[in-house]
Amino acid sequence: MFSRRWFPANARECERNASDFLREQTTEASEMIEVVCNDRLGKKVRVKCNQEDTIGDLKKLIAAQTGTRWDKIVLKKWYTIFKDHVSLGDYEIHDGMNLELYYQ
Amino acid sequence: MGSSKKHKEKEKDRDPEDRHREHKKHRHKDREKEKDRERDKRKRSRSRERSSRGAERDRSGKGEKSNAEPRVKREKLDPAFGDNSEPGPKSAGGDASLSIEETNKLRAKLGLKPLDLNENKKETGTKEEPLVAETINPVHIKQQAEIREKLAALKEKRLLNKKLGKVKALGDEEPWLDDTAAWVERSRKLAKEKELAEKRAKLLEEMDEEFGVSNLVEQEFAQDKRDSYGSRHLKGLKVQHKMDSFREGETVVLTLQDKGVLEEKEDVLVNVGLVDKEKAEKNVELKKKKPDYKPYAEEESVDDMLVLKPKSVLSKYDEEIEGEKKKSFRLSSGGFVGGERERELQAIRENLHNQAQSLDMPSLSLATEYYTPQEMVGFKKTKRKVKKIRKKERAGDLLIDDTRNTDFGSRSRGRGRRQDEQQQEEEEGAEPRYVALETSSKPRDVLQQSDDIRMADMDISDEEDFVSPEPTAFEEDEAEQELQKQLEKQRKLRQKQMLKDSGERVAEHMKQMETAEDDENDPDKRNNIVFNATSEFCRTLGDIPTYGLSGNREDQEDIMDFEKDVEKEGGGQSDSDMDDNVGWSTVNLDEEKVQADFSTASTTILDEEPIVNSGLSAALLLCKNKGLLDTQMLKVARVKNPKPVLANDNYCIEDKMNIDDKYSRREEYRGFTQDFKEKDHYKPDVKIEYVDESGRKLTPKEAFRQLSHRFHGKGSGKMKTERRMKKLEEEALLKKMSSSDTPLGTVALLQEKQKSQKTPYIVLSGSGKSMNANTITK
Repeated sequence: MFSRRWFPANARECERNASDFLREQTTEASEMIEVVCNDRLGKKVRVKCNQEDTIGDLKKLIAAQTGTRWDKIVLKKWYTIFKDHVSLGDYEIHDGMNLELYYQ
Repeated sequence: MGSSKKHKEKEKDRDPEDRHREHKKHRHKDREKEKDRERDKRKRSRSRERSSRGAERDRSGKGEKSNAEPRVKREKLDPAFGDNSEPGPKSAGGDASLSIEETNKLRAKLGLKPLDLNENKKETGTKEEPLVAETINPVHIKQQAEIREKLAALKEKRLLNKKLGKVKALGDEEPWLDDTAAWVERSRKLAKEKELAEKRAKLLEEMDEEFGVSNLVEQEFAQDKRDSYGSRHLKGLKVQHKMDSFREGETVVLTLQDKGVLEEKEDVLVNVGLVDKEKAEKNVELKKKKPDYKPYAEEESVDDMLVLKPKSVLSKYDEEIEGEKKKSFRLSSGGFVGGERERELQAIRENLHNQAQSLDMPSLSLATEYYTPQEMVGFKKTKRKVKKIRKKERAGDLLIDDTRNTDFGSRSRGRGRRQDEQQQEEEEGAEPRYVALETSSKPRDVLQQSDDIRMADMDISDEEDFVSPEPTAFEEDEAEQELQKQLEKQRKLRQKQMLKDSGERVAEHMKQMETAEDDENDPDKRNNIVFNATSEFCRTLGDIPTYGLSGNREDQEDIMDFEKDVEKEGGGQSDSDMDDNVGWSTVNLDEEKVQADFSTASTTILDEEPIVNSGLSAALLLCKNKGLLDTQMLKVARVKNPKPVLANDNYCIEDKMNIDDKYSRREEYRGFTQDFKEKDHYKPDVKIEYVDESGRKLTPKEAFRQLSHRFHGKGSGKMKTERRMKKLEEEALLKKMSSSDTPLGTVALLQEKQKSQKTPYIVLSGSGKSMNANTITK
């Protein structure tokens, strides 16, 4: 990759190439992940969503799959209650993580 | 995923249910197969079409799910399930998961953006099949960082240049600065532009006129002008200051006072400085701490304008309750304010003030005893007419003058003045002067004498009037002589009068005096009293009431003789007389001797004898006369403390030293003792009573104590004696106490009070004052 893109024509191109280069090395923020939600009472759901989705969106997806109402759902991890307006990426919820499903 | 056992159990429970459904079985089976397939596919690159990928994803998703489950469970699953992949969520058993497509559909329904599928995602690999991670190349990382920095710097520069590019720097030269031609060009351009602008404006106006809009435009402008604030708008505005605070000639800027946004009250103008000043003044007033309540203040006060101002109760709180009252005035039209009304009020106020009368009394001052010079001016002294008198009357004149000058006090002065007036009146009358003078002279003399004598003199003067006047002319010497004669006469008359007054009382006495001793009856010494040592002494004894008057022994002798005569007549009185004589005789030896002499001299020897008739006293006298009695008077004895009866009068101390003496033992009687037979019937009732110094009977204990004190030669100590004394006092008090009443005599007082009030009860009032001893005294 270095050999291919290392000699830019002008500054702008250089910038662009560099950013691309950087981008390649890191994982993207907005990517699809699958999160497992378990309520320990028999409901275990795997939900596909983006990293940039908020917890509220995730709750909606869960509700669609479990058949409850999304505003009745509380997602927790031990005692940490996930708030609706924060994105999954900010909560560092990665692919395959287990979330506890509770109801309020 | 941690709770494997539970999960397992649930799964077990559900498994039989699952097994009902064929598709689920198939699914399980399918899952396993797909798992293998997925692994193979994973190794390939991700750059594929979405749809195919989606299908695969679907499976892979399921596979993932299945992979996530514990291995134990998967092994359990029947691998014989069909290859029936069914998308859709599973409600029970296993993990419910949607495929990507379904998820996207759902998301579209919910209004979310579709899943962002990442191709690079799977580079790191899964837990089961970890890829070999790329080696971390620090050099690589450094290079990345450097590039990042450079990029950032370039970006910044670009932005700056863009900004700065708009501003003209000094260095950038305008073409027209140096080059005149360019400048000319430029100016021409500017002028042209101006013209163009003007033209445009004109055009616009014309257009406006065409459309009839110009009027409107004008009106708008005019409106604006009109709407602007003018002085006519100031009419009726309130200024919240006193009119006095504005002085002439100074400009004060007034601003609108703050008020709430929603308040609908009218506008008020104030000056900030004045407001602050007023506040400061108010604070100073408060700091002075004037008394809120004046108890002696008048109820209603009258204002300057003679307006009655009733005094309200607790007027100091009015400000708090009703709010501060602020003085204000309103502006008239055009913003002017006339102070005429205020000035008028002020003028009226002053007028009333001047007319007012003060109710103060003239201040009190010390009264002087004498007239002040000012008062004396108004006080006219009536001038006495000094009448020309003939020579003969000069004596009277002198008299008058003398007597007039002497000041005997107001009474005499008053009388004198009155008499002066009388005199003047008399003089002015037709009476002959000498008569008047005579009358006047008499009163003059009268002033110097006492009242009754004056009265007497008045009489005398009346008499004198008829006697004295000699109408012929006198020479001075003769006048004097006459004066002397008159004085003499008056003196004599005075004396006579005095004698007359007191005469009756002493008349007999004087007679007696004269009869007894004519020698002593000098006219000069008639009034003298003779003192004699013995007579004085006798007088003080006071036995004979009439004795002390004259103080002459001879009188006493007479009286004695008199009494003796009486005694001869009857014996009844004799005792008292004799007593007197006896008294005489016992007290004073000399006197007694004299008396004796007298008695012997005056009486015959036969007088001694008749003792039979008289009593003991006579006999005693006789004896005394004969020398049988010892008449020496014993000294009047003060009651002497009798010597304390010593207890050991009845008690003897056995001398123990003598016991063992052989000679004394020999003398000892060791015989048999027996009561006397003669004294068989003698049974004396022996009661030995011991007495202390005050005469009280002693108990055996006290008696013994007394004895011991006597024996040892010393008494009790201080405390003991004090205690004893106290006990004795208490006993005395106890004896003194009344049995029927309290120590303070309350019952007696009570009865007294009842008697005085004539009620059978007594009122106990509440306050302690009425129950004082002062009120319950007799």
